[in-house]
Amino acid sequence: MTSAVEFRAVSRHFGATRAVDAVDLTIAEGTFFAMLGPSGSGKTTCLRLISGFEKPTSGQIRIFAEDVSAVPPHLRNVNTVFQDYALFPHMNVRDNVAYGLMVKGMARAARYAKAEEMLSLVHLDSYGDRKPAQLSGGQRQRVALARALVNEPRVLLLDEPLGALDLKLREAMQDELKSLQKRLGITFVFVTHDQSEALSMADSLAVFNNGRIAQIGTPTDIYAHPKTRFVADFVGSSNVLPPALTQSLGGPAKWSSLRPEALHPAPFGPITGTVTVLRYLGAGNRVTVTTQGQDIAALLPMGTPTPDIGAPLTLTFDPAALHVMDET
Amino acid sequence: MSDAIIAPRGLADQLTTLFWRHPRLLLALLITPPLLWLGVVYLGSLAALLLQSFYSIDEFSGLIVPEFTLKTYGELLRPSNADVILRTLAMAIAVTLASAVLAFPIAYFAARYAKGRWKAAFYLGIMLPLWSSYLVKVYAWKLILAKEGILTWAAQATHTDWLLNAALSLPGVGGNSLSTSFIGTFLTFTYAWLPFMILPMQAALERVPTSMLEASADLGATARQTFRTVVLPLAMPGIVAGSIFTFSLTLGDYIIPQIIGTSASFIGMAVYQLQGTAGNIPLAAAFAVVPIAIMLIYLALAKRAGAFDAL
Repeated sequence: MTSAVEFRAVSRHFGATRAVDAVDLTIAEGTFFAMLGPSGSGKTTCLRLISGFEKPTSGQIRIFAEDVSAVPPHLRNVNTVFQDYALFPHMNVRDNVAYGLMVKGMARAARYAKAEEMLSLVHLDSYGDRKPAQLSGGQRQRVALARALVNEPRVLLLDEPLGALDLKLREAMQDELKSLQKRLGITFVFVTHDQSEALSMADSLAVFNNGRIAQIGTPTDIYAHPKTRFVADFVGSSNVLPPALTQSLGGPAKWSSLRPEALHPAPFGPITGTVTVLRYLGAGNRVTVTTQGQDIAALLPMGTPTPDIGAPLTLTFDPAALHVMDET
Repeated sequence: MSDAIIAPRGLADQLTTLFWRHPRLLLALLITPPLLWLGVVYLGSLAALLLQSFYSIDEFSGLIVPEFTLKTYGELLRPSNADVILRTLAMAIAVTLASAVLAFPIAYFAARYAKGRWKAAFYLGIMLPLWSSYLVKVYAWKLILAKEGILTWAAQATHTDWLLNAALSLPGVGGNSLSTSFIGTFLTFTYAWLPFMILPMQAALERVPTSMLEASADLGATARQTFRTVVLPLAMPGIVAGSIFTFSLTLGDYIIPQIIGTSASFIGMAVYQLQGTAGNIPLAAAFAVVPIAIMLIYLALAKRAGAFDAL
């Protein structure tokens, strides 16, 4: 399979800040790729390096095997859905969507027909005459999507596109984006700081930390086998256990991670501590047990008796769930 | 008394309570004095002006005849008066266009690139000329533009005086020296009003997010296309606001054309002379109505051209 985007030792430094530091990355064609990381981890800079709004300090970026070092943004067959949507306020929705075709010199009737096609793709058929200010956040998001897709890009970049939407709408858009990507077969590169969003949507994802890629792999791979403490902690809020504790639980003297959902209350078990925090999640309770100065979170499904704060609680787990990490 | 309510501790608490219970009261108190000022002093005098323009003057006695007539407006159409209006209008258009062209790059730089100390330097640079006396600046320009002035000297020193002479020999706008030509009047006007164009333009450009320019480039637009289809329309309200200043200031000014330029009259000078030495208040009033009418027409045209669509 050809790679849609390839980074070869790409760095982007802003003065002394290494926003992106020697990143190697290959994004396969036709995949839904997520870049996940906390703010300031370099994920957005990577996206801007692909679109051409940032130039690498060193290294090489290839898009479909072509070196794009000397190619300005407007000549890259890559389009972006911006975080703030960046819709043109003085144009109506139809003109916004048709903009990419207009600047290419396509005749009005042809570009409007194409714009309508794109609007129906995002379920906004009768909204062409409205101004962006007359739309809701979710509708603006769809217009931005239609506008970015009208040029039929080979790679679509999405910069935290769902961040401004409320939870319900965000979940609906997640499903829609995913099915849209399947239908169009375009490579999607999606930047997010929301780990559940990245896990649920992506075919493959890269976890960023401090300008570097901490781990790259499939969602199941990253969730089940985090390579570093950072990944274990950031993806799925795992319990990260120091070497001593790992050893006392039957593992080697290395850092390990243990998912909260792998722990269950039991009469006997390797972990016994005091309940310090109890958080109601609707579908169950998340309980924090403190033992030897270490907080361990466990997910208690609905139906499990709810412990009291301050009460002792014993937890057990399947030894296979204890994931030992090679790196710290 | 329960602890839920704190007893008022004096007049301030009582007034705050009163305003909280009647929110419009505070608004009314705040807005009445300026509204009275605007209504009585400003609009009142404007109405008086308008009224005067419909009176006429008795040509023999020189007395004002307080009867409604359009005769005075008819006098505006006399060739000598119509010339004054057209000359002023042409000057205002030229000054506005030149200010817009000069101001745009400055405003764009200030809005997009200037940060921190550079921004302070920008504001200082724009505002500083406004702090010194207007008359001092105009006389300074008279000296700069004079035949023995620094511009002529610089042109001779760099052997570009042929360019200066060519400009001065242009029919209509040329003259004996820059300070006695329409070119000189134009230069001084453009200098004097430039800050009034830069500031609103910069404010408008500042509100255009960078992501919008990036979106345009991302969708395939060249820099030129982005400028024409995104930057210019979004900056248009600011450009129109600035041009309202440069346009109306030029239409009303009577000092610059009196000090720099030919002796030809402008609307402001005509008003000054008519209400002063000539004592023809009705015609002065009719002249003063002309800039107001021109501005209204200008704004109507700008609105129709979609200049305010981005507001």
